[in-house]
Amino acid sequence: MRHSVIIIVGILVLSLMLGACASQTASEPAQPADAAAEAQEPAAAVEEPAAVEEQVSGPLTVLCGPQEDWCQAMTAAFQDQTGIETSYVRLSSGEAVARMEAEADAPTFDVWWGGPSDGQVEAFTKGLIEPYVPANAASIPENLKDEASGWTGIYVGALGFCSNQDVLDELGVEAPTSWDDLLDPKLQGNIAIADSRTSGTAYTSLYTLVLLRGEDSAFDYLKQLDSNIFQYTKSGSAPGTMAASGEVAVAIIFSHDCVKFREETGANLVVSFPAEGTGYEIGGEALIKNAPNPAAAKVWMDWALTPEAQAIAATVKSYQVPTNPETIVPAEAISLSQVNLVDYDSVAAGEAKSALIERYAEEVREGAAAPES
Amino acid sequence: MSEFIALRLREFRRLTQDGWLSLGFLISILFLAFFIIFPLGKILSVSLSSEAVPVYQRLIAGRATWQVILNTLKMGLGTAFAGTLVGFLFAFVQVKLDVPFKKFFHLISLLPIISPPFAVSMSVIVLFGRSGLITKDLLGLRYDIYGLDGLILVLTISFFPVAYLTLLGMMRALDPSLEEAATSLGAGKWRVFRTVILPMLVPGIASSFLLLFVEALADLANPLLIGGNYTVLASRIYMSIIGEYDLNAGAVLSLILLVPTLLIYFIQHYWVSRHSYVSITGKPAGYSRPLQSKWVKWTLFTVCLLIAALILLIYGFIFVGAIVKVWGINYELTLEHFRFVLLGYGSKAMTDTTLLSAIATPIASLMGILIAYLVVRRKFIGRNLVDFTSVLGLAVPGTVVGIGFILAFNKPILGGLVPKLTGTALIIILAYVVRSIPASVRSGVAAIYQVDPAMEEASSSLGASSATTFQRITMPLVRPAFLTGLIYSFTRSITSLSAIIFLVTPQWRIMTTQILNEAETGRFGNAAAYCVVLIAIVLTSIGLMYAVVGSTTGAERMIDI
Repeated sequence: MRHSVIIIVGILVLSLMLGACASQTASEPAQPADAAAEAQEPAAAVEEPAAVEEQVSGPLTVLCGPQEDWCQAMTAAFQDQTGIETSYVRLSSGEAVARMEAEADAPTFDVWWGGPSDGQVEAFTKGLIEPYVPANAASIPENLKDEASGWTGIYVGALGFCSNQDVLDELGVEAPTSWDDLLDPKLQGNIAIADSRTSGTAYTSLYTLVLLRGEDSAFDYLKQLDSNIFQYTKSGSAPGTMAASGEVAVAIIFSHDCVKFREETGANLVVSFPAEGTGYEIGGEALIKNAPNPAAAKVWMDWALTPEAQAIAATVKSYQVPTNPETIVPAEAISLSQVNLVDYDSVAAGEAKSALIERYAEEVREGAAAPES
Repeated sequence: MSEFIALRLREFRRLTQDGWLSLGFLISILFLAFFIIFPLGKILSVSLSSEAVPVYQRLIAGRATWQVILNTLKMGLGTAFAGTLVGFLFAFVQVKLDVPFKKFFHLISLLPIISPPFAVSMSVIVLFGRSGLITKDLLGLRYDIYGLDGLILVLTISFFPVAYLTLLGMMRALDPSLEEAATSLGAGKWRVFRTVILPMLVPGIASSFLLLFVEALADLANPLLIGGNYTVLASRIYMSIIGEYDLNAGAVLSLILLVPTLLIYFIQHYWVSRHSYVSITGKPAGYSRPLQSKWVKWTLFTVCLLIAALILLIYGFIFVGAIVKVWGINYELTLEHFRFVLLGYGSKAMTDTTLLSAIATPIASLMGILIAYLVVRRKFIGRNLVDFTSVLGLAVPGTVVGIGFILAFNKPILGGLVPKLTGTALIIILAYVVRSIPASVRSGVAAIYQVDPAMEEASSSLGASSATTFQRITMPLVRPAFLTGLIYSFTRSITSLSAIIFLVTPQWRIMTTQILNEAETGRFGNAAAYCVVLIAIVLTSIGLMYAVVGSTTGAERMIDI
């Protein structure tokens, strides 16, 4: 009968409308699509509702840098405490800046939390950051924040070597204690590091080498190191999982990630540092320019600097050193005074990033030293 | 000339006399135009624009891109060859051999179809990687499974069902009387195989080879996980968007990927399937005697058994990975991964993905059947174009579809009539529909061809409108095809990664991208749990769809009464 055909076509239209409704985060009723003007069917999705000014409400979208479990814990805690609906996407530093740049007219994200400060300086130079000084910034030490470029530090972590002792024993190699140790032919195909184009961790290592050896010599070193590299991963901490599973002997990652993997997997991982000096990361938070919900972002940024919020890290085995002096430093965190740190100026590092990454892409990753298979 | 125009106008007028049905046709055609042709057109225009010129210069100058293209070809050819071989073996064992476990072999070969893209990769890494359970702990090797070898292994397992099903259908439809004639003329078994059977199967083999090549080229999930530093075009496109957000580079690389895949897909679609040598009569007379030679029989059986055992091992191991603490390192039993997926952070991804796939499935199936009906039963100018376009959604690699959608719907179009769709759930649903329509159309076309138009004519002559005829005569007869379309749409959508990976938003979490996140950061336990849950959802929904739609045609039921 005619009715059934109407039903069939009706289901079609309804499904499309349902899809359109489902696409809105606000619960605005979708106008019924005019059957004759089907070309406009996506127009059933009404435009975004006007931002609510008076009371801070969601949704808040966080661009999250550290590991997923810390991101999940933070967003859940924030949502519980403030009632603001919060979601996040975890992106490595390079990816984050690339995405922010592409979305500059209409950003998806409100705040970049846990990104390396040099990445946030790079974003600032590209006009993507709105400088905002959070409420508790006063308690943060001077060298761990920069008002001018708009970032405030939330944690610090030192770059180091994470080695699987069992694999080292098999290869007959000691845990590396200098950058030159990594060039040992016995470690061929047994080192993992992230790709500096996507990962802030790997950029920290790149810039550290530039500081220690000068730019040209640093790139020569990286080209030499390439033959020992098993894989360049996308995210900074992924080499740690390879070391934990025994797939590689040495991973170049932040030392707090090494401790985390050791605890989570029970693998025989040892942390060591290069004697010449190593770099460190200040994970910071910054407000994104033209954010869809800056009010909620500011609430987040104020909250994230409190000792309570910073203490969430330890509950997910994230052992970076928190920046707020009042936060209890977890016992597993590696004290930075024991490590020989280079004088890592985040602002200079951030400003130099674009040029260095370009050179890296050409010479180290796609040039003569391109891996075969 | 005016005669020509008058004829076309008459055709169109006849179309509009279909009432509600013509509305359905219009919707479907507009959908195809807007969501397949428009995005592809955008890719073409961006990749051929002036902004893309520096990208071309960079790509041509650097060695890297040529290396990537070469890698892609090697991977494609290797997979096509291996997959066709395995598929042929399995089909041969099913049809020509009298051995035990045939049902088991059949089911095993269907397993990869319903599984998510990463499942096999993860399992293979943990089993055969450097710290693999089999390679390191059992055999004491330190084998680097990442790269071309791992890729070909994984892709072969993932795609050989395509070859298997194609060749199975062909082998079953072979006319045994030709074999008998050759044998009775004195040809030996091997000669019969070489000169009679094999030539008849050449279209099937060629078809499988080409299809597998295209599927391998378009695959994204496996190169990301097990490719290591072996970059192929799909992963290069991914890097350029996710890593560098360079849409120009993405579009250019998409074009490079698009040309061979489309070309090969259409060679396969139009040329190979037209040259079918299957049988002259259409229905085989008698049945073929199974192969008697004990030596050949049991060798083939053993190889088949080994391969099936391997596949079972790989899939079974995923389940193991979901219930142990740290897959590959710590084998203590735990339910924390399942808790994460079903109750914790992962549950939203589970419900979101199922919901969006469920919304997309009826849309794709209905539109597919409508388009199939339109293409088979109605004659009008541009009919071949509609046929062509309806297949594009699948012929085009998923990453290209994703990029096309970003380029096309990043901003409001038609002066704000169509809002910015990127970042919404709707665009994800649309991507699912676009990817699922081709299969619905194909199975619909095949089914409608088998329906004698006389029945529909009888219905019309008795006064029923086109819509009534369609609903009460055609639809019940093509119900099995409709069901197949539903199942395929849902399965394809829920396991889809490459098409939606650029379209996901923080608010709408999709399981396959979550699996990628978990796997990339080494949280294989959660990833494995996601995979198990996904397979469970697919199997449940298949069961549900069989129950609701029913696999028998209405015709059989009417005869019962």
